[in-house]
Amino acid sequence: MNAQQPLLEARKIVKSFGSVRALTGANFSAYEGEVVALVGDNGAGKSTLVKTLVGVHPPDSGEILFEGREVHIHTPQQAREIGMETVYQDLALAEEIDPAANMFLGREILRGGPLGRLGFLDKAAMRHRSEEAFSDLGVRIQDTAAPVAHMSGGQRQGIAITRAVTWASKVVFMDEPTAALGVVQTRNVLDQIKRVRDQGLAVVLISHNLPEIFEVADRIEVLRLGERVARLRPSDVSMEDVVAAMTGALTFHEEEGS
Amino acid sequence: MLKHPRLTLAALCSALALVVAACGEDDDSGGGSASGGGKDYKMTLIAGVKGDEFYITMNCGAQEKAEELGVTLDFQGPQEFDAAQQTPIVNAVAAKKPDAVLIAPTDTKALYAPIKQMADQGTKIVLVDTTLEQPDMAVSQIASDNEAGGRTAAEALADLIGGSGKVFVVNVKPGISTTDAREKGFVAGAKEAGLEYVGREYSNDKPEEAAAKTKAALQKHPDLKGIFGTNLFSAEGAASGVREAGAKDVKIVGFDAGPKQVKDLEDGTVQALIAQKPADIGAQGVEQAFNALEGKETTPKIGTESTTITKDNLADSQDALYKPSC
Amino acid sequence: MKRLLTGSSTQIGLILVGLIVIFSLLSFESFFAVANARNIATDAAVLLVLAVGATYVIVTAGIDLSVGAVLVFSGVVAAKVMNGLGGESLGVILVGLVASLAAGLAWGLFNGFLVAKAKIPAFIVTLGSLGMALGAAYLITGGVDEREVPFPLVSKFGIGRVLGIPYLVLVALAVAIVLGIVLAQTRFGRYTYAIGSNEEAVRRSGVNVDRHLIKVYSLAGLLSGLAGFMNLARFGTTTIGGHATDNLNAIAAVVIGGTSLFGGIGTILGTVFGVFIPAVLQNGFVIVGVQAFWQQVAVGAVLIAAVYLDQVRRARQRQ
Repeated sequence: MNAQQPLLEARKIVKSFGSVRALTGANFSAYEGEVVALVGDNGAGKSTLVKTLVGVHPPDSGEILFEGREVHIHTPQQAREIGMETVYQDLALAEEIDPAANMFLGREILRGGPLGRLGFLDKAAMRHRSEEAFSDLGVRIQDTAAPVAHMSGGQRQGIAITRAVTWASKVVFMDEPTAALGVVQTRNVLDQIKRVRDQGLAVVLISHNLPEIFEVADRIEVLRLGERVARLRPSDVSMEDVVAAMTGALTFHEEEGS
Repeated sequence: MLKHPRLTLAALCSALALVVAACGEDDDSGGGSASGGGKDYKMTLIAGVKGDEFYITMNCGAQEKAEELGVTLDFQGPQEFDAAQQTPIVNAVAAKKPDAVLIAPTDTKALYAPIKQMADQGTKIVLVDTTLEQPDMAVSQIASDNEAGGRTAAEALADLIGGSGKVFVVNVKPGISTTDAREKGFVAGAKEAGLEYVGREYSNDKPEEAAAKTKAALQKHPDLKGIFGTNLFSAEGAASGVREAGAKDVKIVGFDAGPKQVKDLEDGTVQALIAQKPADIGAQGVEQAFNALEGKETTPKIGTESTTITKDNLADSQDALYKPSC
Repeated sequence: MKRLLTGSSTQIGLILVGLIVIFSLLSFESFFAVANARNIATDAAVLLVLAVGATYVIVTAGIDLSVGAVLVFSGVVAAKVMNGLGGESLGVILVGLVASLAAGLAWGLFNGFLVAKAKIPAFIVTLGSLGMALGAAYLITGGVDEREVPFPLVSKFGIGRVLGIPYLVLVALAVAIVLGIVLAQTRFGRYTYAIGSNEEAVRRSGVNVDRHLIKVYSLAGLLSGLAGFMNLARFGTTTIGGHATDNLNAIAAVVIGGTSLFGGIGTILGTVFGVFIPAVLQNGFVIVGVQAFWQQVAVGAVLIAAVYLDQVRRARQRQ
């Protein structure tokens, strides 16, 4: 890990929902070309932190820096324009339409000429590009014309990941990507995560699954009660240490830099 | 399709069900019984609305005459007294190219085109009960003299309320020749009898609407003394409305004598009914159609009578009552 | 091509063909005649226009109960405008058409805005606009049908034909074809399906869901306005007492045609079949001589059977 500036950095993020203070001054950083795992017990604020970073709900206070410059992200659209994409826990797929349609949702390829100006879709082009993207990431889909509803959990996860990765140019957030998957499908997803990292993007992984984290993540950032309490490397600590950080049994110093 | 055996089976079963249903044919169609000469003419009676005892009684009278003359008569009708619902039925009947059709048009204007279409293909048309603005294609129009009926209703109501007071009309909907005529006759008759006519509401041929509007009228005119309901559902609904409002002294005269209205008469909720002779209309309709088909002369307009039925003469007037089935 | 053959609309289409075959066998001369086909199509034309709009709305997992009332209201507006202008020229008739469309569009915008922005359930919104539109129609006419319309509207457009096909049928078919293509092949259609399938996912993709919903309900309103004008042309009167069950008939047609009430699935082709199945049933029953009351029983049974078969097919595909 290089001692360069983070690609994405959040400082002192505060977010409340009514009387519930979900984030109490949280910090976060992600560097390019790495997988950073965001862990914490239930209610620590992981999903909330990600959602503030991708524009689903902007923070009450705090700053977000992208490539060193401060940015204000108020809508998912703005996050996408910066180059950040998200694989949500609920996948956010429209089940009744096909994988290609989901891939290009909001970014449809239109036919050329006058038909295109009327909004006619170039379904063949979208299907072709989707098939390429799926095969690049090792996602196996037999019938790309079938609705997503006909596909297994692993395939759906693959579609959601491929979508995020195809459009992301900088950062991909993944919220519990393997939670509902079986062994073989989990293997595929972990391989996909590594491939994405190897392409040079930053992957932010929210997960409860420590063995998986220890397998793919380069760094771990621990959230507890709405703030960051530790920054660890899997190579330097044990899983028990991580759990201890999550529960507060052990305290680590929140080092600056790597 | 054979990849989906269950689907095929379901489709075949539906088809079978339809065939069976089709074989459970219209029990109202009189057999072309052997009595009398004449070719086996095929006729259809299209009512204004299916479930109305007035039209059912008309059909009974028509069926009797049909048997006598040796012709076959079908009975059809829409669910509601609505031109948009009656038109597809008229079109379907037209496709069968019957020799004659007796029809009660649900709108004086809207039904002109479909009925004309039938007449143009050679079907003899008899307009029963209601009529059209332009009835030229019909060989005969048969209806009660509705205006006279309305006057009779006014006289009956005047008798019941002691010769003076406020009276109100519940009519069906505008554009129906028969009920419009009844209202006209009533208003004229009420004036002549010295009654105070306060207005009219439409029931849209729905008892619940008649009841609601009657209650509203009673609110507006707490001293209302009499109500005239121009058809079966309107009178029925008005009686319900009076009962629900607890207005015991209001006298009601209804038009038509269906079983519910007769019960209302017996209970005392309604005090008089002006009964038409739908069976007579039906029988005469068949006869006129038969004459037209045989090349004999037809009578362009026939007005049948009405009778006033009260609790007193109910026992003697059983024949005049409308039946729910033949 | 494969989708076309195994799609639900194909199966519904086969049922329609099956019915036509059965009725033709039972009563060939009467049923299987050009005049009869023409009548069935004319009877179905107005409902088809309503059902096309209903398809879009239901595919977004919404519903529109106000269609019959907006039809009546638009017809009333058109009749009043044309009679106000006076005369029987084509120009007056065209102004009447524009007035009818505008009236329908206004109600559609009203519905769409409340559903999308105020987040009131579509069932409630359109139930409310049903009452308001019908009430407004009664207020404008005083409860009495407007029975005078420019005569050419009825004589030329209402009962007129070109190449033996009634104008009303041509209009309905044109609407179905154009909007069918839009639904299947354009971005607008795709967003309609996607929103019905997972509205939140579409929002997160950056698509303006609210604006799209407003457009969809406006489209349904516009088509109700067109249907109102066609109805006026057909009957020559505003028929304000009728059309009470148009909304349910449109929904039934859409559902019989394979569209899911939960959204995300459906085709205009299926809707076309769904409109014709009850029409053919009613026509065939009368011709064959089935007791009038069986017609309702049969249509209700077909509706349930069509939905059930669709569920079975879908469940089997999902495994």
